[in-house]
Amino acid sequence: MTQEIAGTSGEIVMGPTFWIATLIFILAYTLIIYEKIHKTIIAIFGAALLIVLGIVTQEEAFNSLELGIDWNVIFLLVSMMVIINIMKPTGCFEYLAIKSAKIAKGEPFMIMAIFSTVTAVVSAFLDNVTTVLLIAPVTLLICQALELDVVPFLITEALASNIGGTATLIGDPPNIMIGSKAQLGFMPFVYHLTPVIIVVLIVYIISIKFIFGRKMVVKEELRRRVMAMKEKEAIKDPPLLKKSLIVLAVTITGFVIHGMLDLQPATIALFGAGLLLLVSGIKEPHHILAEAEWSSLFFFMGLFIIIGAVVKVGLIKWMSIKVLELTHGNLFGTSMIVMWFSAFASAFIDNIPYVATMNPLIIDMAKQLWPNLSGIDLLHHPDLMPMWWSLALGACLGGNGTAIGASANVIVVGMAEKMGKPISFKKFMLYGMPLMIESVIICMIYVWLRYYVLMV
Amino acid sequence: MKAKDIMIPFQDYLKPENTLREAVNLLKGAVRGEAKVGVMGLPVLDDKGKLVGMLSMTDILRAVHPSYMDMMNLGDFTWDGMLESFAKQARDKKVKELMTRTVITVHEDDPLMECVDRILKNRVRRMPVLDKAGRVVGMVYLRDIFFAITKAMLEEK
Repeated sequence: MTQEIAGTSGEIVMGPTFWIATLIFILAYTLIIYEKIHKTIIAIFGAALLIVLGIVTQEEAFNSLELGIDWNVIFLLVSMMVIINIMKPTGCFEYLAIKSAKIAKGEPFMIMAIFSTVTAVVSAFLDNVTTVLLIAPVTLLICQALELDVVPFLITEALASNIGGTATLIGDPPNIMIGSKAQLGFMPFVYHLTPVIIVVLIVYIISIKFIFGRKMVVKEELRRRVMAMKEKEAIKDPPLLKKSLIVLAVTITGFVIHGMLDLQPATIALFGAGLLLLVSGIKEPHHILAEAEWSSLFFFMGLFIIIGAVVKVGLIKWMSIKVLELTHGNLFGTSMIVMWFSAFASAFIDNIPYVATMNPLIIDMAKQLWPNLSGIDLLHHPDLMPMWWSLALGACLGGNGTAIGASANVIVVGMAEKMGKPISFKKFMLYGMPLMIESVIICMIYVWLRYYVLMV
Repeated sequence: MKAKDIMIPFQDYLKPENTLREAVNLLKGAVRGEAKVGVMGLPVLDDKGKLVGMLSMTDILRAVHPSYMDMMNLGDFTWDGMLESFAKQARDKKVKELMTRTVITVHEDDPLMECVDRILKNRVRRMPVLDKAGRVVGMVYLRDIFFAITKAMLEEK
């Protein structure tokens, strides 16, 4: 599996442009990690500065596929946000959660297991933060009805949402970014990631049974409170719900067959959002559009421009050569390093800027390895594919390691604090880190077995 | 007429360190005009007598209403006894944690139209009245402004 490393670092000109871009990149990432200034402000200012200094041109920043804003990612995210914003007031998510608690018959561990599974499944199709924001409030209500400690439920849901989000192209932003850069569609993610995520989820549920399951007991009278809840009352707008579910089904079908239609996932999502806006009968779309996470979207845009600049000046290429020197071109070794490094990096830093950097790095690495290939032949080289999956698995699951590893974790920690039940960084890590390591070990075995032993 | 002509002279107030339990007791027995009828909101003054906030019944409602219920429509799934148990949990919270810190005030010499303007724009029902030195000298209530309006409307030429 060892490959010859072609190309040399001689092509990279380490002149003033290189150093200015590198400096801005490092400074921006440092400031993002320190969180003293909002990350979106840093990304916007850093990007603007790079254009002002002429390191990237406006044309490159706005329109270049290789160096500029990845509009696939932006339109996919914004379109899914619009669909959810229309669906939210119908009450379908309240219905789903109350129904789940009743299916569990108010039994604490069953509730935890079903809520975690529902969270994981919903997260596979919606943004993780959105999912947690939809499931956690109902969880808190159910926990208070049953007089149970909310903390284990909040932690297990956040972790489940990060696990579920890893399963598909649209489940987690790193996958959207990888899918766009590596030109991998919805179905390849289903073939390659969903099977291992199902295993990870099953092992996860068994693990939380051992960690939390034995301690929870509920009095019969309290259970009756939950059983008395009428989930049908949650549905506030049945016609809109029906339309939303149909459009969602059309959109997901579109994702499944987008390859056959020769359409990008972003186009499918945009079509879904446009269709739902049209049929929902909404007269004034202002509030639906305004509720999209513009701060995150601008963070992405700024970040893409910053990364574009360091790709252009050759920093990423230089880094890719160093990585290959380190691994001596051993691709199995490289993908394992990518997976574990991604997992630990994502546990402490935002996985979005991390993956934004890793994507061009992997592409540059491929260019060093196979200098004669280009385009899809290069991106989908059989020896390169495990690298993409390792990156996706490591970066998405790694978020479970700490309270700051993923946005979903930050959200539940904030909710717990508001409930007067603060979750310390240490406490979250005590549960998150071992469960994260467990899931990455499963993925490591999977990648090794599937791509290096069975080669399927 | 001016604010000072319809205001109820300043009497009862809360301190930031009061618990909610003490606060509701004071609200219940506070004097409005001639009688101890209770009020729906009181100014919060620090040790030096400086106005630092307002605590109204809405703030107390918010104290017993869990924040997660703001995030979704969960009103259909509450149970008998939930409010009482949340009220018991909230009673030891401090006034300073729950009070509204940006207080809408009027000056004693402000005309009544200014009072109406502030009430409508800020959706409040009562406002502390300040003198030139910035001390609280009274309270203007929505109801008393309404009486001033009815009086003007019903007055014979």
